Amino acid sequence: MTTTVAGPPGAARAHSARGREEHRPRRAWAPYLFVSPFYLLYVLFMLVPVGVSLWLSLTEWVGLGTPHWVRLRNYRLLATDISFHRALGNTAVFVLVAVCLVVPLALLIAQALNTRGLRVRDLWRTAYFVPIVVSPILVALIFGLIFDRQFGLANAVLRSLFGTGGVDWLGDPNLARISIALVMLWRWTGYLTVFFLAGLQNVPRELYEAAALDGAGRLRTFTTVTLPALKPVTAFVVVTSFVGAAQIFEEPYLLTGGGPAESTLSVTMFIYRAAFQRQQFGYAAAAAVVLFVLVFGLSRLVNRLLGIGRAAS
Amino acid sequence: MTRARLPLYAFLVLLFVGFLAPLAWALSGSFKPRGDIFGYPPELVPDPFTLDNYRTLLTEQPFGRWFLMSTVVAVVATTVSVFVCALAGYGFAKFRFAGKRLLFNVMFSSLSIPFAVILVPLFVILVKTGLGSPWFALIVPWVAPAFGIFMMQQYIVQSVPDSVLEAARIDGASEFGIFRTIVLPLLRPALGALAVWQFLQSYNSFLWPLVLVSDSSRYTLPLGLQTLFVSEQRQYDLVLAGSVLAVLPAVALFVLLRKQLLEGLSTGAVKG
Repeated sequence: MTTTVAGPPGAARAHSARGREEHRPRRAWAPYLFVSPFYLLYVLFMLVPVGVSLWLSLTEWVGLGTPHWVRLRNYRLLATDISFHRALGNTAVFVLVAVCLVVPLALLIAQALNTRGLRVRDLWRTAYFVPIVVSPILVALIFGLIFDRQFGLANAVLRSLFGTGGVDWLGDPNLARISIALVMLWRWTGYLTVFFLAGLQNVPRELYEAAALDGAGRLRTFTTVTLPALKPVTAFVVVTSFVGAAQIFEEPYLLTGGGPAESTLSVTMFIYRAAFQRQQFGYAAAAAVVLFVLVFGLSRLVNRLLGIGRAAS
Repeated sequence: MTRARLPLYAFLVLLFVGFLAPLAWALSGSFKPRGDIFGYPPELVPDPFTLDNYRTLLTEQPFGRWFLMSTVVAVVATTVSVFVCALAGYGFAKFRFAGKRLLFNVMFSSLSIPFAVILVPLFVILVKTGLGSPWFALIVPWVAPAFGIFMMQQYIVQSVPDSVLEAARIDGASEFGIFRTIVLPLLRPALGALAVWQFLQSYNSFLWPLVLVSDSSRYTLPLGLQTLFVSEQRQYDLVLAGSVLAVLPAVALFVLLRKQLLEGLSTGAVKG
């Protein structure tokens, strides 16, 4: 039982580790010292803030003076705040885009890159990964250039192909969401591809040969050999992209400012706006607690469904 | 054989263009005069070609200071966090101790806590305790990412043999001595991968500096560029040049160390 996540090889080694520790009890403190810097930082900068968030969410506070104790009023207000509902709905859309579009596309690309004897694999992989290392500010500028209603590249291309441009990419609520989704696809797909590709390269070749001997077609091989072997990677990728999309901020903030008419307002933007533009710290904290419960609960659920975080031994 | 692969390569080339064309378009725009950036028909090769955007940016804006701020913060944060992650990863990979499973689960589940949840309280705490200085607040809270510990732990399980540690213990080496002289050198590839990743995370971070840094002499690159963009009535010329300059070191770092980074990143997830 090395860890909850490591596979059998790790577990085998941990047994020898146990024997060693039992022989040398005088060093029993060593592992605690090794992990302590992390937990010190974790308590100070994660647990304490989460606790403070819970407490703040029960108060009304403009950032100065003493917070007013208002019990659950912030939550009651959130329950009827149409902006917050919009933010939740939009964020749900972004999460769906990430999990149902970005992740499968990344898997598809990884499949293509895993073809045996593929040329310049490194070139493809590298090029697809580049968007994630680009500063969000440049991402916003690029897509501002592309989606501009009057002079954007997207409309210029449409105009030269079909004679009509004038699509209001960022000005129409639905199109604005689609535009953000496109930015997400551009930014995240290549990053996630790397994980799937590594996972695919780890599938033992004999499994494919056995499937071929059984006369399994491409699709059957994929569902019976590839997918089960990829389960741990998939779990990691799904959780990562879920948590990432659930707290999306930069893309809508820089590109649309949450508009038009709050159609791309995300929960994180809602929190930012409440706290730092409207000085409603208690209200922002309550929204953050709601986000925490939703994201933490759902990602634990996904972990359980896909089987990571389950004890390996 | 090759003909059967045609659709595959067509697909890959299409993606290649899709992922890189937007960057090429930004690069091209940064060499155009303001009026041409949105010109019709769109021209990929700037004509006339101008360096004025870069010249104006570098002479009239404190670009160098933003760059220095971002780089120093990212380098310090990276150095510390790589060390913290290696320590904790080693603790989890090579020791058995009471409470290990619980501690590991706590660490692992922090991957599922969105940053937005602690955004407001962390800001409040740091400002109220007088620790809101950018040098502290942009660095210290971010030096212990769970992802990095997980990655290190996976790598150490796979690549540090118990026998070596055992031998060093018999020779009477101290636990920390073993970590420093034996384990750390074996971890070099993973440390490199984590370092690149941490550097990029810190260098590109936007929301936290946006909230935290109000003193314009302490702006990081993304923050300085964003402020410039707003103050120029969303005119693209200067900011585009600045963003291209800001992104160059990040992309160069990634391209140089890509093998290490891409393999290191996926170790953890793959072994799962």
